[in-house]
Amino acid sequence: MTRSRLHLAAVPNLLLALLGLVLLAGCATSGQTYSQLQTNLSPPAEGQGRIFIYRTIVLGAAVQPSVKVNDTVVGSAVPRGFFYIDRPAGDYTISTATEVTRTLSLTLTPGQVRYVRLNIGMGFFVGHVWPELVDDSEGQKDIADCHLVKS
Amino acid sequence: MPPEFDKRLRVGPALLGAAFMSLASCAFDISRVTRTPTTFQAQAASEDRAWTLTQDESIGVGSGFPTRLRQGTHWQLAGHIPEGDVYRTSDQIITVEASNIFEAMVVLQGDKLAGFYLPVEHSFVVATDKVVLPIQWRKQQ
Repeated sequence: MTRSRLHLAAVPNLLLALLGLVLLAGCATSGQTYSQLQTNLSPPAEGQGRIFIYRTIVLGAAVQPSVKVNDTVVGSAVPRGFFYIDRPAGDYTISTATEVTRTLSLTLTPGQVRYVRLNIGMGFFVGHVWPELVDDSEGQKDIADCHLVKS
Repeated sequence: MPPEFDKRLRVGPALLGAAFMSLASCAFDISRVTRTPTTFQAQAASEDRAWTLTQDESIGVGSGFPTRLRQGTHWQLAGHIPEGDVYRTSDQIITVEASNIFEAMVVLQGDKLAGFYLPVEHSFVVATDKVVLPIQWRKQQ
């Protein structure tokens, strides 16, 4: 009797631990940080530009929608994670979709580096993730401790 | 059942429905900007048509998210559209924001800000107020 009570008492703690594990698994903690990677990064090829896409916010970690560039999936909105893509100079639309689709349109010139932050806000059933173009200085500061995730 | 109670039973779901609709409208695409297709003619950048903004300015487009132009930013002529002269800066990111976000350039008519040119959408967004921008031309006009 006492033994089974002990087992029952441990259930909430186990559930909490499991929940914590699931939440942590949702965060990007394995890849190199931007600061570590920055020095080894080669510039984009001639005629191309680079777009860094990152998410600093851990809140709503379970919401990790795909990120599309011109309707092609290039990665996911992983908390504290970033990835980058090199693309020919031109016009691009970056979008994320949960219960709504949010888009950002931007231009890319040869050799240009752009920073797109994925913000998260309240939704009706699910949080909304929206891409925002930020100044280079702000982007570099934001992204410094984010980890590289697969794109 | 008393008639008042019956009435309350009918009003309750209606109120709940109204609250649901209200919340739903907050969550979805309710903030939009009116975009007018336009034709852009590029022009080589020149210091003859360059200026510096001498004060912060906040420009509305009717979406509820004004675009802030920062004091000290340097602007150069990028081209023309029928709605005015298009200027760009590399000192800050300029976007027009509603439910979606569009990279933008400013459009001047003389020294009044007429609105924004969206290079990806090839369209013009009119400013709610055509304010005279506090600018200092690099060369006397």
